[in-house]
Amino acid sequence: MDQQMIAGYAPTPVAARMENHGSSMLKVAMSTGQDLFARTGSMVAYEGFVQYEPNPPAVRQMASAWLTGESTPIMKCSGDGLLYLADYGADVVCLNLNNESVSVNGTNLLAFDAHLTWGVERVKGLAKFAGQGLFNVGVSGAGWVAVTSRGTPIVVDCGRGADETYVDPDALVAWSSGLKMKAKRSFKASSLIGRGSGEAFQIAFSGQGFVVVQPSEDSTDRLRARG
Amino acid sequence: MGAGRSMAREFERGHKAKISDLTAGTDLYVGVSIAGPGLTFDISCFGLDAKEELSDDRYFIFFNQPKSPEESIQLLGAQSGDTESFRVTLDRIPPAVQRLSFTATIDGGGQMSQVGPGYLRIVAGGEEVARYAFTGSEFTTERAVMLADIYLKDVWRFAAVGQGFDGGLAALLRNFGGEVAEEEEPAAPQQAAAPGFAPPAGPAPGFAPPPGGPAPSFGAPPPAPAPAPPAFGTPPPAPAPAPPAFGTPPGGPGLHQAPTMVGPLAPAPGQPAPPPFGQVPPPGPTPGQIPGQSAPPGPPGYAQPPFGQQPPPGYAAQPAFGRQPAGYGQPPVPAQGAGMAAAMQKYRELPTGQRWTQQNPKMVRADLSQAGGQPVLARQGSMVLYQGKVDFGYKGAGFTGRIVGNMTGQEMQLMRCTGGGQVFFAENAAYLHPIELQGDAICVSAENVLAFDESLQHEVRRIEGHGIPGGALFTMQFQGTGTVIVKTHGTPVVLPVTPTTYADSNAIVAWSSAAQVIVSSQVRLRRTAYPGHSGETVNLQFRGAPGNFIVVQPYEV
Repeated sequence: MDQQMIAGYAPTPVAARMENHGSSMLKVAMSTGQDLFARTGSMVAYEGFVQYEPNPPAVRQMASAWLTGESTPIMKCSGDGLLYLADYGADVVCLNLNNESVSVNGTNLLAFDAHLTWGVERVKGLAKFAGQGLFNVGVSGAGWVAVTSRGTPIVVDCGRGADETYVDPDALVAWSSGLKMKAKRSFKASSLIGRGSGEAFQIAFSGQGFVVVQPSEDSTDRLRARG
Repeated sequence: MGAGRSMAREFERGHKAKISDLTAGTDLYVGVSIAGPGLTFDISCFGLDAKEELSDDRYFIFFNQPKSPEESIQLLGAQSGDTESFRVTLDRIPPAVQRLSFTATIDGGGQMSQVGPGYLRIVAGGEEVARYAFTGSEFTTERAVMLADIYLKDVWRFAAVGQGFDGGLAALLRNFGGEVAEEEEPAAPQQAAAPGFAPPAGPAPGFAPPPGGPAPSFGAPPPAPAPAPPAFGTPPPAPAPAPPAFGTPPGGPGLHQAPTMVGPLAPAPGQPAPPPFGQVPPPGPTPGQIPGQSAPPGPPGYAQPPFGQQPPPGYAAQPAFGRQPAGYGQPPVPAQGAGMAAAMQKYRELPTGQRWTQQNPKMVRADLSQAGGQPVLARQGSMVLYQGKVDFGYKGAGFTGRIVGNMTGQEMQLMRCTGGGQVFFAENAAYLHPIELQGDAICVSAENVLAFDESLQHEVRRIEGHGIPGGALFTMQFQGTGTVIVKTHGTPVVLPVTPTTYADSNAIVAWSSAAQVIVSSQVRLRRTAYPGHSGETVNLQFRGAPGNFIVVQPYEV
C-alpha cells in the first residue's frame, strides 16, 4: 500500500489541549490529572492509555434533568494519550475559556475540561414547547470546551441597538451566559418561522454578548439516538 | 361539489347527531366550502378542552400549523370543490381535547353577509354522511363564523353551529383563550381561493377524499383523479437568452455588482480554501464587533490554523504511524488567543451594508432595510436568526402561496419578511448560491428555492411527465431585477445547453429560462438501475440557443 496517499491525514503535533483535526474531528491531548467530560459515544479513536467512565456519579447527579434512560449523556475520560472525538460529521469548534462562561445547547456540546464549573440549565418557558425539552449546559472557568455545529456556524452580536435577537432554537448552538433569554411564541410568527411542523417558536436574546447559530435546523441528537 | 349524494344527512343550524349514527368510521374528512365576491377566508379548527378553551395551542389547526402533534387533526388544503379540508381521526385525539370547533374568518375586508351559499360536510369512507349548508343571508356584519363542532359527550357528536362572530381570527383565538402576539396584528394569510394552479388532482396521500368509492374503509384510494390540466406544460420561450450569473464567488466584493454572465462555478463554495468568511473585522466599533466583550478581541491574524484539512508537508516529517507523537502530556498551550472571542472571531458575522450577504457557503443574510426596504419571500423554516423589527407573514393575495413540492409531495410554503432588520437564512446545511438577476430570467426547481426578493416577478410552472415523482416537476420562474437564493446539496455543475444536454429530473436545480425543456422519459441514461427498477427514469432534455445553461446538483432527491 502506498502510504504516501494517506500520509496527509496523520495528526499534526500537539499544540494545545484541544485542536481540530480537519473540520469535524476533535483531538484532545489527555494527561493524568486533567480529566475530560465528553459526550457518550463521541469517541472515534484514541491512542495511549485513556480510560472511560461511562456513568460518572458526579454527572448523574448534575445532569439528572437531562437524563432520559439509565445512562448519562456524558462520560468521563482520564489518562494519558490522544483522544479523537466526533459527532457524525458535524463541524467542531474549540473554545478556550479565559475565566469566561458560555451556555451550550446540550446536543451541540462535545467535550469540556472536567475542572470547569458546569451545570445543566433549563431554559424557562421553553421546555413547555420543545418536544424533548431544551437543555443547556452552562460552562465557566478557565479551560477548554468543544462544541459541534451542523455546517459552518455564524457568531452574531446581540445588543446592537435596542432590538432583541431572535433565534430558531433548532439552529441555536451556544451563547454567552450573560444574555437574557425568553421564549417568544406568537401565532403570527411561530408556525411561519422555524420548522414547518408547527412546533416552532423562537428564543429572544437581549443584553450584551453573542449567539452562535448553525446553518441547519437539524437538532437531532445523533449520539443520544445511538444510545 | 358532489352535492346530492343520497346518503348525506342534511343538518340545519342547531342540529346535533352522534357521529356513530352517521358513520361507523372514526377517520373523517371534513370539508368546508365558503366563498363570496372579493372575500378570502381562513378556515381553522380549534381543539378545545372540557372548558371549551384552547389550553394547548398546538391544537389550533390553521394555515400555519397544519396538524396536531399526533396528527389526529390535519389540515389538507383545498380539494374536491372544498375551500378547505381536514382529516380528523377521532380515536387518536388525546383525552384533553373534547371539542373541535371549525371556524371560518374573513381575511381582509368584507363581512359575512356577503358570503354565497356554502357548506360544511363530513365524508367517511369516501361517502358524504353529513352536510350543513348555510348562506350569507343568515349573517350580517360578522367577520367570522363558527360553523360546526365535533365534540365529545359520552361519545363523539356533531353539531351544526352556524354562529356568527364579530372579529377576525385573532379575536376568535382570544375568545377561545388563546394568546396572540402582543405587538402584532393577526397574520394576513391568504387562503388562496383561486391560486394560479392549485390542481384538484393532488391525491391526498393514503386517504380518500370525498369522491372516493363506496368502500367503507377510510384507506380506499380515490378514483384516480384526472391529472391537472397542463396549464404550464412547456415554458414559453423567454426573451433574451442572457443567463443570469450563477455561482459568482460567494463573499466576493462585487457579488451584486457583477455583470450577468454564465458563471462556471469555478470558485464554488464547499471546495477547499473557503471564501474569507472568517474575515477578521478591524478592531473597533464595526457593526460586527462586540464592544463590551469580556475578553479582548483577538488580534487580526491570530495563529489559528485554517479550518480545513491541513496536510503536513510530507510523510517523512511525520512521526510514524502508530507511534506516539511527541509532546503527549505537555501542558496545554493555547494555539490561539485565549478566550472565546478569539476562537469565534473567524465565524463572526460580516459587516452589513448590502442587501444580500453570503455569510458562509451555507448561510446568507438579507438586510431588509437595503434596496428600498422591499420584502423578501423565503421558504418557511429557513430563518435561523433575525435581528431588528422584522415581521413574518403569510404571503398575501395574488400569489400561489402554497405550491406542492415536486419530489416529496409536501407543501412548500413561503413566508414574507418585511421590516427593517437582518434575517439569516439557511436550510439543512445546504450550499447557498445568490443569483442576481438583471432583467433576465431563470427557472429554478421549486425544491431548490430558498429565498428571493419580492421585486422579482415569479411564476410557478409545472412540467408534467410520467414517472416524475409526484407527477410533475414544479419550477419557479424568476424574472426582473433582484436576487434569488438557490440551495443545492453539494457543489453543483453548470452545463451549457447543447443539442444533447440531458439532466435527471431529480437532480436538476435551475436553467436559463430561454432554454426549452423536453421531457424524455424513455431515454435510459441512468448508470445502473437497482433490482426491481425498470431502469426508466425521467430525463429532461434542454434545447436552446448558445448561451443557455443548466445547473445540476450531485444529489437526487
